[in-house]
Amino acid sequence: MVSKDMKNILDRVEQDLKSCGVTMMDCDIIQPAEPFLKMAGEDLRRRIFLTQNVAGEALCLRPEFTIPVCMAHISAGEQAPQSYGYIGQVFRQRDVGMTEFYQAGIENLGDPEIAQADARMISNAAMLVNNSSQADDVQIILGDQAVFADVLSALGLPTGWQDRLIHAFGDEQALATMLKTLSAPEAQSYSDETIKELVEADDHEGLSEHLSDVMAKTGYSTKASRSPDDIARRMLEKQRLSNTKLGEQDLTKLKTFLDIKVPLNAAIDTLTKFAESSEIDLSHSLETFAARISALEQMGFDMSSTYYETAFGRPLDYYTGLVFEIRSAQSGQVQAAGGRYDRLMALLGAATSIPAVGFSLWLDRFEVKS
Amino acid sequence: MTITVALPSKGRMKADTLEAFKSAGMTVEAVGNDRSYHGRVLEHDDIEIAFMSASEIAKELTKGSIDFGVTGEDLVRETIANVDSHVEFHARLGFGNADVIVAVPEFWHDVTTMSDLADVAMGFRARHGRQLSIATKYWQLTQQFFSSRHGIQLYRIVESLGATEGAPAAGTADIIVDITTTGSTLKANHLRILSDGLILRSEACLVGAKASTHYGSDLYKKVATAFK
Repeated sequence: MVSKDMKNILDRVEQDLKSCGVTMMDCDIIQPAEPFLKMAGEDLRRRIFLTQNVAGEALCLRPEFTIPVCMAHISAGEQAPQSYGYIGQVFRQRDVGMTEFYQAGIENLGDPEIAQADARMISNAAMLVNNSSQADDVQIILGDQAVFADVLSALGLPTGWQDRLIHAFGDEQALATMLKTLSAPEAQSYSDETIKELVEADDHEGLSEHLSDVMAKTGYSTKASRSPDDIARRMLEKQRLSNTKLGEQDLTKLKTFLDIKVPLNAAIDTLTKFAESSEIDLSHSLETFAARISALEQMGFDMSSTYYETAFGRPLDYYTGLVFEIRSAQSGQVQAAGGRYDRLMALLGAATSIPAVGFSLWLDRFEVKS
Repeated sequence: MTITVALPSKGRMKADTLEAFKSAGMTVEAVGNDRSYHGRVLEHDDIEIAFMSASEIAKELTKGSIDFGVTGEDLVRETIANVDSHVEFHARLGFGNADVIVAVPEFWHDVTTMSDLADVAMGFRARHGRQLSIATKYWQLTQQFFSSRHGIQLYRIVESLGATEGAPAAGTADIIVDITTTGSTLKANHLRILSDGLILRSEACLVGAKASTHYGSDLYKKVATAFK
């Protein structure tokens, strides 16, 4: 049963979505489970409602809309930029709250104007929340993985470390552990003499050949599992990293950066000052950042309760740049969450690279007055 | 009034259990012939014995259709969700020892810890076009250990109901989660346990069902404390 309040919210949100100029998209409630498991990993398996068809293929009740919408866009072979809207029930087991609840949102696919598209999603999401949510005051929190990536590269960290830190971005605990290891790396030791020599000589080819021999001797198919080349690469990378220590000064810079929390209209100023005092060049990511802010200004977006947090991100490998959340100021409950996931479309099988940005609204939280 | 204790129905586990029960003053005797699935305890006529397969015992404990069971801790923790609200571990019996572990191919010299594995899992999709796969029959234990304890999300479980240790060489999975006692099977299959890859140190346990109608009664306590 849909409550009267929820019915009103659904009607209003659908009307507002249409006013954003989107194509409304309908997705089947029963979906193939594989794409969701492939994208979100094994942990999602416990949270979704799984079943099988007669052929034994895994099906599930749709746990969210982004993946079905993106897949429909890909299979339609759509070339032009498209903005899709959706509204409906999703089914997921959560720590708190109902297992079936309503979500709505927009997926903006293929738009090459990155800053414009980012800004439009933030402003659309804010409009939808303001018009329909019962939450009194909302705060918008914005983060940008590209700026963090730029800081890491400007500090001159080895790429292996950059990758690891970016992967941990958005997971406070994981990031703290990484930084600790980075300030005191562990030494590598190999008991096998041949391997020890090859690693010390930084001999990628020799190491790879040696591993290939070992695999053949132990009955491993070289096609199975990771290739000798990949293992050798990572062994040598580990060796190099164990010799890399992030200096006290650089560590302080990184920590200073991750502590930045400012109103969005002060963000460029703060980042510019940080770049100057740390003597690093952030001009590349700052350009996109500034363009996004001016796009918001041109839309007449009220930035008074929008904040930028340098450490805010999502530890999923297809997120690339902007992330944002609209939270109730009192309860902190997330009303809308979105971001840019330029890598998702390729992972879902798109032949060309398709930029993607979007958000979802947690409509079940709109009813509650905070 | 009688109370039902389920014991393993075959093999070494059965022999060890009967011996442990005898030392605790409970001589178990099959009713009818030796192959019977029903038994009794000579010293106590209020204890009934049901012989079942070890994995069945774990399932029946949740339902409360048996009052006690002797089975491996690994099976109990794997089979029963929210294990502590359904059963109580009363005694560790000192046999049926098996460690549930994470093992990788020996020549993965770059992977010695779970954090190495997290690192490899993270780059796996980009390099291999699929996620790191784990062969195991322990779905729950694996998910808890990887997802909750180590924050690794990007992996797939490939269900394996036998000869799990052969999966990496055959190419059906990259790594395994399995039980080991001496480690010799792992060694023979060129697998190595990660230094922090011990998920559970399991052994045969006397487990009580909280759903038992006798839970907390004197009769229940008599069995629960028999191994103290």
